[in-house]
Amino acid sequence: MDNLFVALFEILSFGAIVVLVVLGLGIIASMMGIFNFAQGEFVLLGAYVTYIVHSAGAPVWIGMAAAPFVVGALGFVLERSIVRRFYAAPIVAMLGTYALGLIIREIVRGLIGGLYLSVPEPLGGSVNIGTMHFSSWRLVIILITALVMIGSYLLLARTAFGLRIRASLENPALARASGISTNAIYGATFAFGAALAGLAGALIVPVFSLFADLGLRFLIQGFVAVMVGGVGSFAGPVAGAGVIGTLAAALPWIIPPVIADVLVFVLAIIFIKFRPQGLISGKGV
Amino acid sequence: MTETTQTTSLPLPGRVGRQRRWRVLPIIEVAVLVIAVLLPFVLKDYLTIYATRVLILCLFALSFDLVWGYAGIMSFGQAVFFGTAGYGVALIARDLGVTSILLVLPAGLLIGFAFALLLGGFLLLGRHPSSVIFVSLGTLTGSYAADRVARGWYYLGGQNGIPSIPPMTLGSYDITEGPVYYYMTLGILLAVYLLCRFLVRSQFGLALAGLRENEQRIAFFGYQVQRLKAIIFSFAGAVAGLAGSLYAFHEGFVWPNMLGVVISTQVVLYVLFGGSGTLIGAVIGTVAIEAVSFWLSNSYQDIWPIILGVLLLLVILFRPAGLVSLILSERERVGNFGRLPEEGDRGSS
Repeated sequence: MDNLFVALFEILSFGAIVVLVVLGLGIIASMMGIFNFAQGEFVLLGAYVTYIVHSAGAPVWIGMAAAPFVVGALGFVLERSIVRRFYAAPIVAMLGTYALGLIIREIVRGLIGGLYLSVPEPLGGSVNIGTMHFSSWRLVIILITALVMIGSYLLLARTAFGLRIRASLENPALARASGISTNAIYGATFAFGAALAGLAGALIVPVFSLFADLGLRFLIQGFVAVMVGGVGSFAGPVAGAGVIGTLAAALPWIIPPVIADVLVFVLAIIFIKFRPQGLISGKGV
Repeated sequence: MTETTQTTSLPLPGRVGRQRRWRVLPIIEVAVLVIAVLLPFVLKDYLTIYATRVLILCLFALSFDLVWGYAGIMSFGQAVFFGTAGYGVALIARDLGVTSILLVLPAGLLIGFAFALLLGGFLLLGRHPSSVIFVSLGTLTGSYAADRVARGWYYLGGQNGIPSIPPMTLGSYDITEGPVYYYMTLGILLAVYLLCRFLVRSQFGLALAGLRENEQRIAFFGYQVQRLKAIIFSFAGAVAGLAGSLYAFHEGFVWPNMLGVVISTQVVLYVLFGGSGTLIGAVIGTVAIEAVSFWLSNSYQDIWPIILGVLLLLVILFRPAGLVSLILSERERVGNFGRLPEEGDRGSS
């Protein structure tokens, strides 16, 4: 019984990490129709910022708080200067953001070398219930994921800003005619998505440690999750991330990890093949 | 009489060009070939070996150019066919002791073809037409999965791959790296290039180019769009398989990276940089990137990948047609396809 709870906790915390990574990707893909191949590198950057702040001697949590803002700002600059040229052509957008990701990844690789750098958890120890131990930091990740999810949902569904974003998504021409600056909205949405990725990177770096190819794995996982969940809605990518995260965390308990890792992707691709609209079809929040 | 005046007053667009000036594309192609033939005479031995590797990568780049540059299928997993063929021939050489070139190269070709048929058939065929995003994600995932499986599979050597593959043989003669391997690869590359050139300039190639430009319209013309895509994808897989088996025997070992995302995207870089949608663009892009990479690898090893990324971004932003478009006119880059039915009549009249 205790083992079951520990396993469930592991699965939940990994699922939370995937949701956190996918949220930004999903928002950009759903709201802007851009598949941002640099998203994994935004995660990497978030982790890197945290590492830099930590190695400068400041407490880790300061780095974690700074990461989403730094990455969000960079996302905004990139959107204004480069990504906005790609809106007309989704395929070119894919290649262009891939090139951006490549540049970021290689710069980080140049800065840290081929090393695996560890960053300590800002909150060590574990919570003990009876004979079971739950890592405090993973609890914090679950908690923050839940908060970010609720916050993003409220932002998109309940605020005037969210309304503008949704208006720009559903009918850009009409939105512009109604006096909404779709350019500014796109910039802000992209920056928001990037900031979420930065936050994800900052939170997971104590768990995964920092290395240059950190983002690549999450990129593929994130895209698969977005496609499984369904592009176009808020709930879709979150649901997809939940499914992929749960599977990716649960399967290794049953079958060898290497096969599990591959099997999740193969199952997901087969699922998308036969249900291209994903788990939750439809647009909106 | 009236017919003659009509012919002269309404010439085919291609004819004017042919009369007015030289065509650039054949000149580039012949120049590249001449340089490639003469190269081993001026290069040192170790550079000839490097050049052989570049030629093999050119062959690999051609396979990506066929799917992306001509049919508009974004394949981020071309290395799957390259790598599986490499592993396949390595296993054939290791476990069965077969190294005859007459057997291993066709085997590599078939392995590439079979895997491409499987993956392409799954991703491209079916009731729902697949979105570009789905295909690119599916191929990327395929590449990632193949890499992971190869790393975890003891029979395939795990992380280390399969070392010390015996050299390819022709009868009792060992084909080892050096000028012989170079000219053999060049010959194969030339043959594949000419075959592809014939293919993409035929009416089949026209249908492919139509797919790339406006898939729906081609579907309305009554073409089996998905089947066309699966055919060219499998053909490209066979080319990649051929390249992979040449690579495996040239290097003498295979390792999981050959299947992975890094090589898959490397080939995307080559083709986009050189100019997708022209066969010579794939070759020029590969040679340019590999040559500069070799030249810079001693002194600027760390920043070279960054420069590569920046170059790629600049090309995508400002020169979507790649390096080749600097010297090749748009009309010639698009090219003409096969013979129009009435062109022969006009020529004889």
